[in-house]
Amino acid sequence: MKRILIADDASFMRQMIRDIIEPEGYEVVGEASDGVEVIDQFLELRPDLVMMDIVMPKRSGIDAVKAIKVEDPGATVVMCSALGQEMLVMEAMEAGAKDFIVKPFKPDAVLTTLGKVLEKED
Amino acid sequence: MDLAKYRALFLEEATDHLSEMSQALLVLEKRPDASEAIDEAFRMAHSIKGMAGSLGYDSITELSHKLEDTMERFRAVGAVPAGESGLVLLFAGLEGLEKMVASVRAGDELAMADPGLLRRLEGVVDSGGRESPQATDRDPTRSVEPDPKKAETP
Repeated sequence: MKRILIADDASFMRQMIRDIIEPEGYEVVGEASDGVEVIDQFLELRPDLVMMDIVMPKRSGIDAVKAIKVEDPGATVVMCSALGQEMLVMEAMEAGAKDFIVKPFKPDAVLTTLGKVLEKED
Repeated sequence: MDLAKYRALFLEEATDHLSEMSQALLVLEKRPDASEAIDEAFRMAHSIKGMAGSLGYDSITELSHKLEDTMERFRAVGAVPAGESGLVLLFAGLEGLEKMVASVRAGDELAMADPGLLRRLEGVVDSGGRESPQATDRDPTRSVEPDPKKAETP
């Protein structure tokens, strides 16, 4: 079972991701609500994949990707973006994020992206 | 999707976010260049936009998106002007969102966002976040076509 860490400052969004992926066999091992907490939880939990919001308090999702990739260059991160954040998504991909999904979340798109990214990692 | 569950989550978080946005605007009233307050207000509008978009609350999505774009321009400039094209406009946007969230709570049909308010917010975005008297003087009957070259919210 793949272990997922979700980072988003809105519990609404974290719950939505959880409700989409848990029935499909993913295990949510942790939730973080800011860009510092997600780094701490990543180091503690070592998940298979991090779903990372871009706009978060304390440190942005992009900063968090950079910090996580320094600690673990093999870390797998998928960005959760909103329409209009294309430039930030590009920056996150350059920092080492593997892919991105766009809000509002479409369950099929979320699951397809996770499956594709994790398949590549195996 | 369990709509009742997400509606309750939305109401809880949106209410908190609007309260935090209000606090941030009050800080900006005293210190127009308080970058942490601009960032906070921006994040709150962004978060409300994301939740509302997920639930199909289109008018909340539209107003919060316009507020977010406006705040982004103020972030770039480094301060929020005190006048009608600045803090007054942000407070009007906050009030608009509060009314809409109250409608969701009451189970009322969600009204369209105030077109005049949306135009004024667009005026700030078009002016790059600087004082723009024209933004409040526009012909209210004139339609505003989206500019494909306009920078989107990051």
